Amino acid sequence: MATMTPADATLQVRTFRRSPLSRARGHVGALWRRPLTQAIAKAVLTIYVTSTITFFLIRLMPGSPVELKIDELMQNGQMSYADAAAAASGLFDIDLNAPVGQQYLEYLANLARADLGNSFLSQGTSVTSIVLAVLPWTLFAVGTGLLLSFVSGIGLGLVAAYRRNSPLDHVVSTAGSVISSVPAYLIALLILLIFGIQLRWLPITQMRGAFSPGMTPGFSPAFIGDLFFHAALPISVFFLTHIGLWILSMRSATLAALEEDHVTVARARGLSDGRITTAYVGRNAVLPLVSQFAIAAGAVVGGAVIIEQIFVYQGVGLRLVKAVDQRDYPVMQGIILMTTVAVIVANLVADLLYSRLDPRIGRAGGASGT
Amino acid sequence: MPILSVRGLSIEYRTRRGPIHAVRDVSFDLEQGETLAIIGESGSGKTTLAVGLVRLSPRSARITGGQIVYDSGRERVAVLELDSEELRRFRWAECAMVFQAALSAFNPVITIWEHFFDTGRAHGMHDRHRVHDRARELLHLVHLDPDRILSAYAHELSGGMRQRVLIAMALLLDPRIVILDEPTTALDILTQRAIIDLLRELRRKLHFATIFISHDLSMAAELADRMLTMYAGRIVERAGVDDLFYRPRHPYSIGLLRAVPRVSGALGSVASIPGSPPDLIRLPRGCTYYPRCPFHVDDCRESDPPLLPVDTPGHEAACIRWEAVAARIGSAAKPVAEKLA
Repeated sequence: MATMTPADATLQVRTFRRSPLSRARGHVGALWRRPLTQAIAKAVLTIYVTSTITFFLIRLMPGSPVELKIDELMQNGQMSYADAAAAASGLFDIDLNAPVGQQYLEYLANLARADLGNSFLSQGTSVTSIVLAVLPWTLFAVGTGLLLSFVSGIGLGLVAAYRRNSPLDHVVSTAGSVISSVPAYLIALLILLIFGIQLRWLPITQMRGAFSPGMTPGFSPAFIGDLFFHAALPISVFFLTHIGLWILSMRSATLAALEEDHVTVARARGLSDGRITTAYVGRNAVLPLVSQFAIAAGAVVGGAVIIEQIFVYQGVGLRLVKAVDQRDYPVMQGIILMTTVAVIVANLVADLLYSRLDPRIGRAGGASGT
Repeated sequence: MPILSVRGLSIEYRTRRGPIHAVRDVSFDLEQGETLAIIGESGSGKTTLAVGLVRLSPRSARITGGQIVYDSGRERVAVLELDSEELRRFRWAECAMVFQAALSAFNPVITIWEHFFDTGRAHGMHDRHRVHDRARELLHLVHLDPDRILSAYAHELSGGMRQRVLIAMALLLDPRIVILDEPTTALDILTQRAIIDLLRELRRKLHFATIFISHDLSMAAELADRMLTMYAGRIVERAGVDDLFYRPRHPYSIGLLRAVPRVSGALGSVASIPGSPPDLIRLPRGCTYYPRCPFHVDDCRESDPPLLPVDTPGHEAACIRWEAVAARIGSAAKPVAEKLA
């Protein structure tokens, strides 16, 4: 301690100099190993890849918006091709003759600034406002339908598993497998034909749209009731197409969970049936279904296009079809991008929820860093 | 007055080929504070019997006859006649069970503390602090660090630790009977040693009666006061631990003893039992061990012999040839394998 050789001094200096850098590296490493960081990085990558593919696929479609407009003007306005072309080109503030690579870079640059551009056809309307006007309706209908089907399917599946081979089990599982094998659009058409047209139980024309004209949006009971009135048909379709899946998955997961040794031990410990069913059987059986739910959410948002079309519900699907008809590139890109983001967020939430529900996942990720 | 008395217990499994007679006409008494070991090879009905005692048999099993009477000190309880709520309260509070599958005995998504608290709450201990204090005390007793264990999930503990936790949890409600079903099967030899020592220590401190199911004879020898040998679902020999090890009177017990390798014994002294256990669906007529028995005579084919008293007191064997066996084995306090080597 008393004597300090020059060698000691340099050693001290060296360790001092190196430590901030290695500490920073340690911080970055620790941050990267956190499951949330990895999930967000994956989400950003997915969004980038999806938007790139969308961008190029849209431009591979036959007929550009300019050509469609020229056709329209020639037919409706009785213009010559040259006049129509001149008139049409003035309508679009994007140069579609620029090289695709350049358009792509501009698109990415705008995207980085969270700017989705303006609609080609409704001049001056930003894509963001169009998407925000329709996306909530789809998320509302899909989310409600899926959640309802998830909750009731899990309940029914659990009961069916507990009453294995009883008449109730046979009815529930057969109904589940029949209904889950009918495509969503068929169910939608059958509802329209049977309850709307044959029996006239449902006022299907009044149920169109997202809410009735003249209603003021707000958190009033009347408005919320009206929302459910208009979304009832899409919600029922999403509910019916998925409940079979949840029943069958939950039934088999419960049967497997019931065979677990720890359930027998719980019985030997004299726990009540209620506690065993919820905390020991149910909670373990539902785990694999959480990630299945996230996957289903993605598929349903994508599949909502046809259902919304059939019921004329003002969601992203209906708007997307319109945008495709008009070759409104920015709106198409915007809707697909926002839908992707919605699905990714749903997945992210499911992942986080999963790691909360199953300590083996969450803790394993945290422990590997130490 | 025995704390648990079993009379004529029979358990069957229903299968497509017909009922499997896994436990046949089993009777025994368990005295207060004693350790009774049940030995036999795989498939002899040991575990079916143990699980049947607390009526935890799988759906396919059915108790077809017999009686189980538990003496709680205040009253005599017919276990087979309890309704589901009475049975739930009987389990663990009066008769706890440490399972063979201790490694998977814990719910993976809740902490060890929640297991303790669930158990306590199910039996009227609603005071968190009381359960917590008792859990800490017991974990300490099984040589674990209570704070670490209680906040842990099962997957964070080693096999030996989980086995100790399960033993500690078995003692939470001060049961008068603890059933140990092959408690060390999945553990390495050093951990097995530690668990045996632990069980001896706990028994000395807490005075509970133990039914100990094992195919590990050396373990049974260390822990048991009395032994039952099971073969093809029946008890074929009932003896004090020294009698069974030095003076067995049933040829099957001799077969089991000879199958254990000994460090000090000659290499050739280990012998397996020829043949295999009988089909429990179509049982042969006569003694079930007859086809594998070196002592058999023609009369063995006639009827399945009941347990008969033999030359040493408090010792019974289900063998009409026990005198021939006694003549061959003798009464010296020397391991059977050495006598026959």
